Amino acid sequence: MLPLAKLRTGSVTLVAVTALVAVAGFLFTSGARTEDLKHYNSNNKQFWTHPPDDWFMGDETKELQGTNYVKTQPPPTGFTKEEVEAKLKDIKLPPGFKIELYASGVSDARQMALGDKGTLFVGSLFLGHGTVQAVVDEGGKRTVKTVIKGLRMPSGVAFRNGALYVADIDKIYKYDNAEANLDNMPKPQIVYDDMPPYVPHGWKYLAFDKNGWLYVAFGPPCNICLPPTSTSQVRHIDPENGTAEIVALGIRNSVGGDVDPRTDRYWFTENARDWLGEDTPSDKLEYVSHIGVDFGYPYCHEGDIPDPKFAMGHKCSDFTPPALKLGAHVAPLGMKFYTGNQFPAGYKDSIIIAEHGSWNRLKYQGARLVRVTVDADGKNAKEIDFATGWLGPNNEYRGRPNDVLIAKDGSLLVADDYNSAIYRISYNK
Amino acid sequence: MIQARILRVACSAIVLLAACRHASAADAAAGKLTAEGCAGCHGADGVSQTPLTPSLAGEPDYFVQWQLVFFRNDTRKNEVMGPIAQSLTDKDIRNLGAYYASLPPPKPETTPANDALATVGSKLASQHRCNVCHGDDFAGSGPAARLADQREDVLLKALRDFKSGRRVGTGVASMADVTYDLNDADMQALSHYLASRR
Repeated sequence: MLPLAKLRTGSVTLVAVTALVAVAGFLFTSGARTEDLKHYNSNNKQFWTHPPDDWFMGDETKELQGTNYVKTQPPPTGFTKEEVEAKLKDIKLPPGFKIELYASGVSDARQMALGDKGTLFVGSLFLGHGTVQAVVDEGGKRTVKTVIKGLRMPSGVAFRNGALYVADIDKIYKYDNAEANLDNMPKPQIVYDDMPPYVPHGWKYLAFDKNGWLYVAFGPPCNICLPPTSTSQVRHIDPENGTAEIVALGIRNSVGGDVDPRTDRYWFTENARDWLGEDTPSDKLEYVSHIGVDFGYPYCHEGDIPDPKFAMGHKCSDFTPPALKLGAHVAPLGMKFYTGNQFPAGYKDSIIIAEHGSWNRLKYQGARLVRVTVDADGKNAKEIDFATGWLGPNNEYRGRPNDVLIAKDGSLLVADDYNSAIYRISYNK
Repeated sequence: MIQARILRVACSAIVLLAACRHASAADAAAGKLTAEGCAGCHGADGVSQTPLTPSLAGEPDYFVQWQLVFFRNDTRKNEVMGPIAQSLTDKDIRNLGAYYASLPPPKPETTPANDALATVGSKLASQHRCNVCHGDDFAGSGPAARLADQREDVLLKALRDFKSGRRVGTGVASMADVTYDLNDADMQALSHYLASRR
């Protein structure tokens, strides 16, 4: 049940617009008529503030008709611990690595953050009923508890100097002394709220830099539109006094990023637009090379595809291409630079990306962890599979990873909202 | 219920993982036992004779499960179903879903309605593309309910509840979007048409 509906107020006017879309790939011969395809005019404030509840199912094309976000949802009662463990047997990793279940029953597990005392905080999104959970590890015995309730979509969490930070659409909250107060969390302080209220693509991910500033991405409340000027950007925010800089523009939906320890630059993943085609455009890995870098949305996708409707006279050469194209509809989300000492030496400064997997593609792809090696100057980016096996042979999900985190011992924690579970990947040669 | 208890005990001992997996999968037979308490309102064999109480026979497994989950977590507010759902475990919910999905759907008591109201309803169903989620024969699938041969009063109440926002649904709440454009006369025509479909 999506809280989007609860936030919907007032009326919506649907304007039937016939959108001409350049479609790569084959077309259905099912006889679907253009009038059968859903269209929305998402290029206006009425849409952003009162989107129809199935706003991202709009702008349908014949080629992708039938794809539907709801089809990727887990079943109503989820999976038992035994079922989740059984599915882990199918996950393939490089030699020497193993994966195990760290905690189950972590409802709609999204971004993770580790406290100084080893408490694992986990945010939630569509199916989490506005909660933040904590996994408490007492000598190997783990319990999962709900520590914060009553928020909306608290997907982003981070921990610094004893405090838990939670991003809930248009507010960043700070809970002091969090680990000592798990059963009785203090009333939070709002440390940043100069944010737009839009819910679509408004779910946040938090990444601290070494000075205690946060990088936060703001997505446009549409699939493709000329975005409200407070969105489609990455900001660098000081939670101490609520000031911020806009460091990057021209982005769409980014729910993952981390600071490169070699250069202190912010790297992040980005989900490209939907309803353009089965194999287009590519999702991306990018980095903030200089303040004000513009990656092209909505005018240009993946660095080289002008948008059929929104190019508006701009050329792709006006914008900055990604460091790496990750593939169409793989849905890259949480990512981290590997900084631990457990994995083989070659993994140092590699990026591990959690790909959530497609919804707007007839044949799903992604649903895996990939490893990217890239030089400090952003060149020579290469991608290799790291953990695969969450996509079954009949186009069915067996899990959907969405975040990674390096634990103190150098193992890798993985959040999977489909299975409401946290996994731990460790290396032992 | 005894059968279910034995399976639970077998699982808690360290036995074959395969046996435990079987017990975790939905058990329609166990669902039938749990459903004995439901027949009073929802009818023997899941065909309801009670006003404003839906038939459950032939409803898709996930549809039944989602409604029970919604009643249990108070997403869908109902004075009768709320307390009942609170007492259900995840396993009960899965078993009930499997059981009701296995039952033959209600037989319509009359021949399909060919009156003017049904004709209007048929046009509306086409126009609002109900078949995209509910199937060409309105038999439902996944989280989308079986509409064909459901009680007409239940269908009408559901449409009215979606329109007023009292009920939300799973399809990204697309029922609210669908009903936004419907007036009450439309909803009556749609309910009449769908209730009389074979």
